Amino acid sequence: MKPKRFLPFFFIGFFFWILTPSLLAQDEITYTGQVTAGDSGEPLIGVNILILRTGSGTQTDFDGNYELVAQPGDSIQISYIGYDPILYQLGVETQLDFSMESGNQMLEEIIVVGYGTQKQKDLTSSITTVSSEEIMKTPTGQAMQSLQGKVAGMQIVSSGAPGSAPQVRVRGIGSYPGGNNEAPLYVVDGMFFDNIDFLNTSDIATISVLKDASAAAIYGVRAANGVVLIETKSGRQDQPAQITYNGYYGVQVANNVMKMANSQQFTQIISELDPDRFPDYQFILNAMQRYGRSRVDPNIPDVNTDWYSKIIRPAPIQNHSINVTGGGSSATYALGANFFGQDGILDMKNEYQRFNLRSKVDYQALDWLNLGGNMILSNGTKYSPENTAWFRAYLAVPILPVLDEQIPNAFPDPYASAQYLGYRGGQNPFPAMEYNDNKEKIRKLLANFYVEVDLIPDKLSFKTTYNHNFTALDLRNVDLPYFSSPGFQNPDAGIRRTWSTFSNQIWDNILTFKDQYGAHGLTIMGGASYRDEAYSQLGASARNFPTDREEAWYIDQAETIVVDAVGDGGSHQYGMSYFGRLSYNFDHKYLLYGTFRADGSSKYQQKWGYFPTVGAGWVLSQEDFFDVAGIDYLKLRGSWGELGNDNIQASDGARTTQVVNTVFGGQMVPGTQTSNVFSSLRWEVVEELNFGLTANLMDSRMTVDADYYTRDTKNAAIRVGIPLIGGTVLRNVGVIRNAGFELALNWTDKISDDWNYQIGGNISTLKNEVRDLFGQPYIDGGSAEFRQRSIVGQPVLAFFGREVTGVYQNQSEIEADPIAKDNNLEPGDLKFKDQNGDGVMDGEDRVILGSYFPDLMYGFNLGMSFRSFNLSANFIGQSGNSILNRKRGEYIFTNDTNLDADLAVNRWHGEGTSDKYPSANGLRKGWNQSLSDYYIEDGSFFRIQNVTLSYTVPGTTLLGGNFPETTLTLTADRPVTIFDYNGFNPEVADGIDRQTYPIPSVYTVGLNVKF
Amino acid sequence: MKNILISFCATAALFIMFSCHDRLDRPAENRTFEEAIDYSNTSEMDAPLIGAYAAFQSRGWEQFPLISVRGDDVNNGGLGDQQPFADTDKFRYDKGYWMYNSLWQTMYSDIIDGNAAKEQIDLYAEQATGSNPAAQYKAEIDVLNAYLLFNIARVWSDVFIPETSNPSDLLTAEVKPKTEVMQYIADQMNAAIPLLPDMRPNQRTDLPGGVTKHTALAVKALANLELENYQGVADATSQIINSGLFKLYPDYYQLFKKPGELSDENLLQFQYSDFDQGTGTQITYLTAFFGPQKWEPKVEGINGGWGFYEPSLKYIKFMLDRGDRERLVTSVLFTPRGIEEIKKDPNYADLPDWVSNETPSGDVILDYARALFASGKHYLPSDQITPGRKSWANAQNMKVIRYAEILLMHAEALTRGATSTAITADAAVNLVRERAGMTPLSGVTSAQVLDEKLAELGMEWGIRYYDMLRTENYDELSYGGRDFSADKAYLPYPQAQVDVLPGLSK
Repeated sequence: MKPKRFLPFFFIGFFFWILTPSLLAQDEITYTGQVTAGDSGEPLIGVNILILRTGSGTQTDFDGNYELVAQPGDSIQISYIGYDPILYQLGVETQLDFSMESGNQMLEEIIVVGYGTQKQKDLTSSITTVSSEEIMKTPTGQAMQSLQGKVAGMQIVSSGAPGSAPQVRVRGIGSYPGGNNEAPLYVVDGMFFDNIDFLNTSDIATISVLKDASAAAIYGVRAANGVVLIETKSGRQDQPAQITYNGYYGVQVANNVMKMANSQQFTQIISELDPDRFPDYQFILNAMQRYGRSRVDPNIPDVNTDWYSKIIRPAPIQNHSINVTGGGSSATYALGANFFGQDGILDMKNEYQRFNLRSKVDYQALDWLNLGGNMILSNGTKYSPENTAWFRAYLAVPILPVLDEQIPNAFPDPYASAQYLGYRGGQNPFPAMEYNDNKEKIRKLLANFYVEVDLIPDKLSFKTTYNHNFTALDLRNVDLPYFSSPGFQNPDAGIRRTWSTFSNQIWDNILTFKDQYGAHGLTIMGGASYRDEAYSQLGASARNFPTDREEAWYIDQAETIVVDAVGDGGSHQYGMSYFGRLSYNFDHKYLLYGTFRADGSSKYQQKWGYFPTVGAGWVLSQEDFFDVAGIDYLKLRGSWGELGNDNIQASDGARTTQVVNTVFGGQMVPGTQTSNVFSSLRWEVVEELNFGLTANLMDSRMTVDADYYTRDTKNAAIRVGIPLIGGTVLRNVGVIRNAGFELALNWTDKISDDWNYQIGGNISTLKNEVRDLFGQPYIDGGSAEFRQRSIVGQPVLAFFGREVTGVYQNQSEIEADPIAKDNNLEPGDLKFKDQNGDGVMDGEDRVILGSYFPDLMYGFNLGMSFRSFNLSANFIGQSGNSILNRKRGEYIFTNDTNLDADLAVNRWHGEGTSDKYPSANGLRKGWNQSLSDYYIEDGSFFRIQNVTLSYTVPGTTLLGGNFPETTLTLTADRPVTIFDYNGFNPEVADGIDRQTYPIPSVYTVGLNVKF
Repeated sequence: MKNILISFCATAALFIMFSCHDRLDRPAENRTFEEAIDYSNTSEMDAPLIGAYAAFQSRGWEQFPLISVRGDDVNNGGLGDQQPFADTDKFRYDKGYWMYNSLWQTMYSDIIDGNAAKEQIDLYAEQATGSNPAAQYKAEIDVLNAYLLFNIARVWSDVFIPETSNPSDLLTAEVKPKTEVMQYIADQMNAAIPLLPDMRPNQRTDLPGGVTKHTALAVKALANLELENYQGVADATSQIINSGLFKLYPDYYQLFKKPGELSDENLLQFQYSDFDQGTGTQITYLTAFFGPQKWEPKVEGINGGWGFYEPSLKYIKFMLDRGDRERLVTSVLFTPRGIEEIKKDPNYADLPDWVSNETPSGDVILDYARALFASGKHYLPSDQITPGRKSWANAQNMKVIRYAEILLMHAEALTRGATSTAITADAAVNLVRERAGMTPLSGVTSAQVLDEKLAELGMEWGIRYYDMLRTENYDELSYGGRDFSADKAYLPYPQAQVDVLPGLSK
């Protein structure tokens, strides 16, 4: 922890704060008037009136009257819940009354739909937009993290490791898991990305999730996993410069830290082992001899290491942004600088720092010509954790201390090694943490320029956009030498460096025609897009270099360059697409929508794919016959579309050959091996049907969005096990269906002038199902020991094994059961259900034990404001998913290890002690190690996701200067998570928990100042 | 002005965009496609052959132990760890155990790789003008594949015979009975023998230690032994003996150490090397499995092992009874605890002082909890390990088929009534005994030959176990609390294979 180096950012912030008061001073006059409701003429109480220039404003009183001090020429915004906002530019007239139309600003909201925009009320598809304020509530370096629980149907599985992006799934998985092909497409101001881990959250204006095919199909072959559109913040026309500092500082604390067996429990379990088969008690005796006996209990060693508490630390997190936005009559701009720093809670050099600069300028050069440019420069440094430390801390025995001064020749630190106690390995996680240094420099430049020409004013326009994303990754992995015991050492310093560059370009040309013929509204868009994605990599390794100074960690300084480890790789792929969109509405009552995209790709043998979609909407509430009290707006919508997924690996399409070396007569001789199994792939096609409704109820205080969808991935690329020889090969051999229901509700109201509140919630169900495997009854996945099977009619990759019915309690129970007799079982062994009742326990007795997909996800939030105080709370949860406790499964491969406390306490150790877990002897038996629901646990959880309390001091005049509007925020992010699973956290993306980085709780203090 | 500018730009844009279309047809980068190989360059025909050897020699650590552990010469060791491996040693099988599947998959995978290499060689051969070594290369691969298949059939009895490089062909195949598999191997070897060079493996200059005619004969003899076709054994071994090429390495102890690598006794071996470099690339087998967990090596800093693979007390006592000193101290590393364990039996209370926890090379083996003894055939003296390397028996070659085994198979065949064109059973056995410092026998019986095989070939490839199976000598296997019966002879098919190959469910 080195908080010192972050201090300058605070100083810069305060510097601006102090500097600004004298900047703005002009003649101000007082405006007065009344605000009334347009339909009833009643005065409206508590209407917000905001001066856009200063961000300050006032509210109407009990009679709807207001008084506002402002400059002539200022633009003001008048807003009130349930009414359309009014924008007005002040003149010399000082008495101004306003009448507000009840309506819904939500319906007029402009929604970004990809290569264009649409009004919310004309949408026929399912799009959820999350605004900047919501995003910034979550203290994180990963913008997507802040969407957790806020978008119905979107699953976000966060990661605790600094700088690593969360896993995002939109409406289940369209593609077979495991190939890094589940992520949605991210489009940042028009540029395609696989993730947005480089973006500063406070630079983001909106994140829109295009959930259904109708919305996403315009992105064709990249859209199958959903599309997430990110718009960065822009300036506004005629807006004086607004300087905003936004920052927070906080601490991350590990939560729900796993309890492991302590020395006393561990010794007890080991002493229960049959000494003829298991010599482990000898290791306890060795530990007592080496480290002494406990004074409390002389039968246990005088060491009791809680490894998790040793490797975890509280870690700081902070973020500081300065943004300047503004605009004149023909140009707008937004400039920003941002620093984000986060240390990992794993106690090693594990941190992420990112410095971002951005500028966005839009310029109306001529009345028919708009141009603009947008650049984001991101410079990140990531020190990756040694994830094995989590796993080793689980395995390391508690009778081993961290340090052992008795080790002769220990170097550089005397880290204890379990080998001195007789164990096979050294176990201690610290050498791996201390003597590994994994540094990655991540530099990204996103540049995007456009020219827009009005061919026919307000009707026909042409826009050409060039995007370039250049990414340079410089990875340096260093292993430093150490010695703890002969089998727990690293004699040679090793360094590996990998340089990768990605240069992705997209060039879009778009023609948009928009017109209104009476009640007929028509928008037609046609375009072409060219994609060029190049990647290259060079890596080299060396051994034995001066290790004491980091400055010397270069391959040039090394004694030996490992010639075989030099690698050069790359790929270059091209894409060419044509697309069009037609959207039509009659009187905003009947809506029609269609897009089509033809995508060409160099990635597969199949070059072209065609992706159509159609949608329709009917605004019932616009019909004359519709008159239902309480329903202000009601729209039914439906859509169908096809999407593609080309994010699966490029197929070889033919046999490939690799060079291998072997030994003849003490010489290395190179030869070749030809892979006899190769992939020949097409892209996956997803067909989706979506039905939904959008409604505003009770004077628009309540909004409802409901959707039902089915989503079929046809010719899903599935890893098919190769018979006889193992391994897998990707083949397009299945149909996977995701279906679900999504409901989002929001309620906004006020109790009094001072009290506003808002309640929102969303719930989504998911049913994942294999529909077809082209003739095969099932396809196996997972590993041979931890079988996952995809069976037609069941979820993809469901856990597949035996069902535990109990534990054999005594010998007579064994004698009575022929299965137990046949398998030489003892009391304390698991009892499995003989599914087919044939009296034999074999592969035929396996059943589906669970799926890692949650079938229910929910999130809800409460917001309350009282005068200048604002409190919001978010809650999320999920249920129905299973987790494979692979940590316990490690016992199959080595049982030199510790056990978790739950297992240690609840093991079988005599008649009636457990009906769930085997005995100490039983844990080591193959019988009990076959995959059963002993390993499969419930992954349901409920979490208080975020609680934010803020206090705003409005902009005011203080001591002759302008005191800027200042908001102080206290945030607790993920403070409480409730679950049953025996692990750090139940968020496990693929359901297999081996060494998940725990997700910390984050507590921050934030400051937002608008100068 | 505006319109001209726009029209010009639009035309240019359209032109540039359409010219991008042909890029969609560019092939993937950074791959060598089969089509890109110049098959007319026949000097590269050995590349796929060497690739097949690379697959053959690259073996996971668990494969040898699983093939070998069930004999009465060796126990599982590694007490407390890998319980299903220990259970396997006691003939209690678990078809879900990862080792079973791993052995099956990797052995078959290498056979499939071999078949793919043969297809590659054919592609070169089609383009070759004049004489070329394609036939010999393919015959070499047939021998490698035959040895792998031989082991698979020994372990599982009825198994698949893959004849192409496409494993999917086996989805519809049925397993072949063990006898048919062994006959197939013998036939393959008959076809290969005339195509292979008539020399010792270590006489090959192109690939020293590679397969020769005599390797094929040896595999043929092994298959015939399993078939109990003793005349077939005698014929194949006679040819090897009559060639006069092979002789036993004079120092039995050093045969298994560095000096014995590529000696005139070897017919087939896995070759590994650190290329005499203290750091950098090496190609090895993970021998740590065999090593004792604690020892005091003469050269400091060299690692012990995991303490699995423990020579049995039964074997040690058998050797002590025979006074078979050189072979015992070569085959077994004693711990002090192990020596005490032997002495607990009053018949062995007084042990000769050469039964010591110090090896003939001066390394000292210490007590560790997991086993009483370690295999001396999987040990390199610390002073033979390349300085800088720290692993147990680093880069030790592994013997696969030795001339001593040929001689003893020959002898057994003759004692079972086969006729020889080479030497007598007595002569064959005595050659082996003489090298080990044992007195000659005369009028040897089948039982004596089997004893000799145990003494000579203990810890090697489960030879003892499969001899006991073949001769239905089940009592020998029922030792130390074990209860063997014929139904326990073979491992069950791995569950993962049963799930994917319909032929295994029948």
